[in-house]
Amino acid sequence: MSPVQASCPACGAPIQFKIGSSIVVVCEYCNSVVARGDRNLEDLGKVADLVETGSPLQVGLRGIYRGVPFELTGRAQLGHPAGGLWDEWYAAFQDGRWGWLAEAQGRFYLTFPGSIPQQALIEPFDSLELGGPVRSLPLQVPLIVAEKGTARMLGAKGEIPYKITPGELYDYADLSGPHGEFATLDYSEQPPLVFIGRELHLSELGFPPDVVPPEREAHRVTAAQLNCPQCGGPLELRAPDKSERVTCPNCSSLLDVSQGKLAFLKALDPRVKPFIPLGSIGEFFGTRLMLIGFMVRSVEFEGVRYYWEEYLLYEPQTGFRWLVRSDDNWNFVETVPPASVMVSGERAVIYNGKRFKLYQDAAARVEHVYGEFYWKVMTGEVVRAADYIAPPLMLSKEESFVLQLPQPGAKDKKPKAVRAGEINWSLGTFVRPQEVERAFGISGLPRPSKVAPNQPYPYKKIYKYWGLLLLAVIAMAIVVAATTRPQKVFEQTYTLDPIKSQDDSQVRFTEPFELKGRRNIVVTAAASVDNSWVEIDGDLINQATDESEAFTLPIEYYYGVDDGESWSEGSRSPDIYLSAQPAGTYILGFEARWEKFQQPMAVTIRVEQGVFNGGYIVLVLILLSLFPIVMLIYHWRFEARRWADSDYSPYQSSS
Amino acid sequence: MLSRAYLIIGLLIIGGYGLLALTGTELGRAHREKIPADVRQSPGGYRSFHSTSIWHSGFRGGK
Repeated sequence: MSPVQASCPACGAPIQFKIGSSIVVVCEYCNSVVARGDRNLEDLGKVADLVETGSPLQVGLRGIYRGVPFELTGRAQLGHPAGGLWDEWYAAFQDGRWGWLAEAQGRFYLTFPGSIPQQALIEPFDSLELGGPVRSLPLQVPLIVAEKGTARMLGAKGEIPYKITPGELYDYADLSGPHGEFATLDYSEQPPLVFIGRELHLSELGFPPDVVPPEREAHRVTAAQLNCPQCGGPLELRAPDKSERVTCPNCSSLLDVSQGKLAFLKALDPRVKPFIPLGSIGEFFGTRLMLIGFMVRSVEFEGVRYYWEEYLLYEPQTGFRWLVRSDDNWNFVETVPPASVMVSGERAVIYNGKRFKLYQDAAARVEHVYGEFYWKVMTGEVVRAADYIAPPLMLSKEESFVLQLPQPGAKDKKPKAVRAGEINWSLGTFVRPQEVERAFGISGLPRPSKVAPNQPYPYKKIYKYWGLLLLAVIAMAIVVAATTRPQKVFEQTYTLDPIKSQDDSQVRFTEPFELKGRRNIVVTAAASVDNSWVEIDGDLINQATDESEAFTLPIEYYYGVDDGESWSEGSRSPDIYLSAQPAGTYILGFEARWEKFQQPMAVTIRVEQGVFNGGYIVLVLILLSLFPIVMLIYHWRFEARRWADSDYSPYQSSS
Repeated sequence: MLSRAYLIIGLLIIGGYGLLALTGTELGRAHREKIPADVRQSPGGYRSFHSTSIWHSGFRGGK
């Protein structure tokens, strides 16, 4: 279809509908929204000029998504209920479809009008619950309500596929799926409109490589120089296209930022300052981010208020990240899609296949702010915050509340905190102070004295090594036992004549026998002792060198019955392990004494070689286990310290 | 660091065990001495040699 040329009904300037299916076009000269009906053009009113948001996109840009070319024909800016705005770009695809490309805080979401057969059954706006599922959408992936609010049409440009009314308010709900799925319910019409798509990266849209303007690099973000309306001092906006709040570095006033203009809101405590100066650039996980904001927040437990610090980082391509300092422990934090987190029981959630345990759940209050923020932050602002841990990660949920003013004539005149607005999940990764210092090129950050909730236990590998070593020992023992061939090299029984007394003795020497080298030797002495003893003091003597190795073998065996229970102790055939000797001919000499010296005594001497000594395996297993057992105790104490500040500690007694 | 130290020590222990198994060495203090043939062959020589040895226990048994 060829473009339709027309004149603006407000100013007469030429306007053009290039896309056959577009509904309105915004006059470039007078900002009038011109809608085309069946017969005439209709002037829907003027929209405000677009606010410069630093978007890398522009009307007229062409791209390719999943093989289908498209062109960005229009753009609208919508006001967010929490302040700020977001861009919506309208993409006319070559196959006739329209795509909605939403851009907010550096993230992009492409959706298409959904054809839902049971559209009329979509839940009413008021019945949608933050974090709750939207069951009416017949999708394979369950989506949950990530945000609900009322948007205001602020400004627009180009050709747009639906009728917009300047200043119009409409309710919307953003839905999120576990793997980047995204949908919007638009309640500007009844039944509500449904847009279904997903979050994507700019690179997936097939824009030309030069689509990202060079001025969007982090070091060029320091763009706007302004003066504080309270004290007149200079201040700098480091993310001028995103900031909604800024504090004056001269007088510590909290200022509202609205289209580049500053307005005084309140005076803040000038003594609270960040450890790391604003404007510092730090590199985390390969991305260079600028520190643009700092806030102190707190929670209260049993009457005691606990504080922590949050540092807002910004990089235009990446968006916003946080660095959180609590008890001198640090976390690098980024947001995750709400639907990617699944509840698992009362005290756990699952994210990315990993189970996170509930650590804390409390109302977090903003105590102090400094620098710039992308939402209209105020001291005293409260969100419901819950932390779940799976070291070194921490998932944090924040649910915003809005104050609902009482209806006129209502008895209760106090505003009520109502769960509304947004539910945000963020993923924190534990970073050591040294890493923060390295990232910013600074030094002197205080070291933590407490274990952080998501601090990884540093010696977990010991357990892995322990298991591997034990397996290695057992395998080695099996191999040694299987390959050892015990060999009897000598055995003879000696009948010893009675002796004069227990101090007297009988001496015997065995016949020579051959010993091989590098094989251990086991000497066994056996006698039929019966509640008595025989002492064998022996020597294994090398016939060639006269070198001997001495040993003692006490043969004793006692038994009886005490209090009706039978017992026995000792052995009638004790043995002793001797180290391997040089190969050669040996004899064994021994001197025997025995308790019943008046009677003859028969003693059997046996010599074996290459006998598997299982005692060493037990010894090695004990040696290998000593340190891990100590570390198990340390680990237990480490975990107890980790959970010390939690209301959900598994290490506290239930008393 | 500690984990690696444990691994190294553990490997040394296992290696030590392997060495013992390969060489037929038994742990414990070896009581080595020379017992000349004339001592062994003379009547009473070995007994008197033994009675002056310091390592024999002088075990007398009994429960």
